[in-house]
Amino acid sequence: MEYLIHILIIAGIYSILSLSLNIIVGYTGLAALGHIAFAAVGAYASSLLALNLGVSPWIGLLIGAVLAAILGAIVSYPSLRLKGDYLAIATFGLGVIIYSVAKNWVSLTRGPMGLPGIPSFSLFGLEFNNVYIYLVLVLIFVGITYFTIRNITRSPFGRILTGIREDEIATEAMGKNIIKHKLIVFVVGAFFAGIAGSLYAHYITFIDPSNFTAMESITVLLMVIFGGMASLPGSVVGAMVLVIFPELLRFVGLPSSVAAPLRQMIYGLLLVVLMILRPQGLIGKYKFK
Amino acid sequence: MIPQIILNGIISGSVYALIAIGFACIYRTVKFFHFAHGVVYAAGAYLAYFFFRILKIGSLFSLFLAIIIAGILGVCINRLVYLPLRRHKTSNLVFLLASFGVFIFIQNLLQLIFGAQILTPKTDPVKEGHHFLGAVITDTQILIIISSLILFLLIWLLVQKTKLGKAIRAVSDDRIGARVSGINSEKIITAVFAIGSALAGAAGILISLETSIEPTMGFSAVLKGIIACIIGGIGSIPGALLGGLFLGLAENLGIWQIQAGWKDAIAFGILILFLLFRPSGIMNVKPEKEKV
Repeated sequence: MEYLIHILIIAGIYSILSLSLNIIVGYTGLAALGHIAFAAVGAYASSLLALNLGVSPWIGLLIGAVLAAILGAIVSYPSLRLKGDYLAIATFGLGVIIYSVAKNWVSLTRGPMGLPGIPSFSLFGLEFNNVYIYLVLVLIFVGITYFTIRNITRSPFGRILTGIREDEIATEAMGKNIIKHKLIVFVVGAFFAGIAGSLYAHYITFIDPSNFTAMESITVLLMVIFGGMASLPGSVVGAMVLVIFPELLRFVGLPSSVAAPLRQMIYGLLLVVLMILRPQGLIGKYKFK
Repeated sequence: MIPQIILNGIISGSVYALIAIGFACIYRTVKFFHFAHGVVYAAGAYLAYFFFRILKIGSLFSLFLAIIIAGILGVCINRLVYLPLRRHKTSNLVFLLASFGVFIFIQNLLQLIFGAQILTPKTDPVKEGHHFLGAVITDTQILIIISSLILFLLIWLLVQKTKLGKAIRAVSDDRIGARVSGINSEKIITAVFAIGSALAGAAGILISLETSIEPTMGFSAVLKGIIACIIGGIGSIPGALLGGLFLGLAENLGIWQIQAGWKDAIAFGILILFLLFRPSGIMNVKPEKEKV
């Protein structure tokens, strides 16, 4: 049972990631493939603050999310000039760079040795070391992310995002500030991804760079596409299915040296099949142009 | 110290160039990022290992076989994945994502078959290298540099001087126009995938003679190939050679100053600078109008 709850927690954290990527990729149509970099910043920032300075994880979570948002603001700059696959490669590079920093800045991040013993959240003396309480915490954050992004995308602001996606020049010609909107989209997406990273770090209590490889961004993107581009329930479904389904491989009794690559092979095959048969995802409304 | 760094830069640069040339051939014809190029490179290295070490076929023949099969693999990827996508007339981004899928699939297939551990294909003991202008170079490294240059020349002559090359250029410039003139564009694309993937396979084999191999080796290789291609001028074959050498030199000069682990970060830093400030690359190739 605890194992099942653990899987749900991981699925919840991935849901936050896929929801926050959907506002960038699905609603605004910007092909960002470096989403895991923001989660890495959130995770490392709040872990390091807790371990080195004894800062409460709650404050660390906020600071981590803000730092991730600042990185998001920086990344929005290339998105003003690059489009389509060029933006995809550039943002993918961001993932590689952040991974390199986590791995090589040993004096700060301890490199490949990772950061052990990250404290868990606590409230009024109550430690969140129980998986059930942690699941509730994660679900609350999934809810916050979901409703924030839903409200953003349903507002007039959200319609401008759709405008940018459908026809950037026409939207600009209507007097809308493209730079500002892209900046805000990346800041919001990165902020929530930072929260997801921090939630992960304080839950597992150990992080190392291998949690944040650039390929992980592709997994998150796959969740968004699988569930559906520009569909928030789709993002949650995508994260749930892609986290829970491969776990079944474990129950078939495959050793992990077979199950791990097999899981990745399923992801790869799924990505190819989706692209050929249904690039907008299960319940998506938009496909890459 | 400096001559050695420059030499190391040229060696790793020629491998990057070889990957980038194959990538550029494919890119200029189909106009999307064939990310799975990296996994063809890894497959080339593993095939050579398989024929040479496990089946114990003679070394030259195994290399030949590995290159051929790498070419066939490229053609299969084109047929099974890209051809249906071309029929749907989807965007470049969809091609790129599908290509990521192929990459993940084959990389993990290699891991499933050969295991995740590092393998060493070469058997002969390490020989002392030749001293040359204050730097040391081994026979294998000389082989790498010379075969890259020869393959570059062959491809360049093929594209510029032969009839097939003319057809490739025609399909690259204007696919519909080429079809109107009676060129079977699908046939040309198949040929390009075969040539480009054979080059990637050759690069994988050359690197396996020099260092050890692992299933994830294709990842950083294809990134370097793409970066070399973009900084050289996307789709240009001499550009890919220059971009590869430039990247190799820049990386090795970079890690001379800081640690070796920063290589990938340096490469991407250079890429992002080029994309933002000189997207046309060293050879000043204008990228597709609507993209940059």
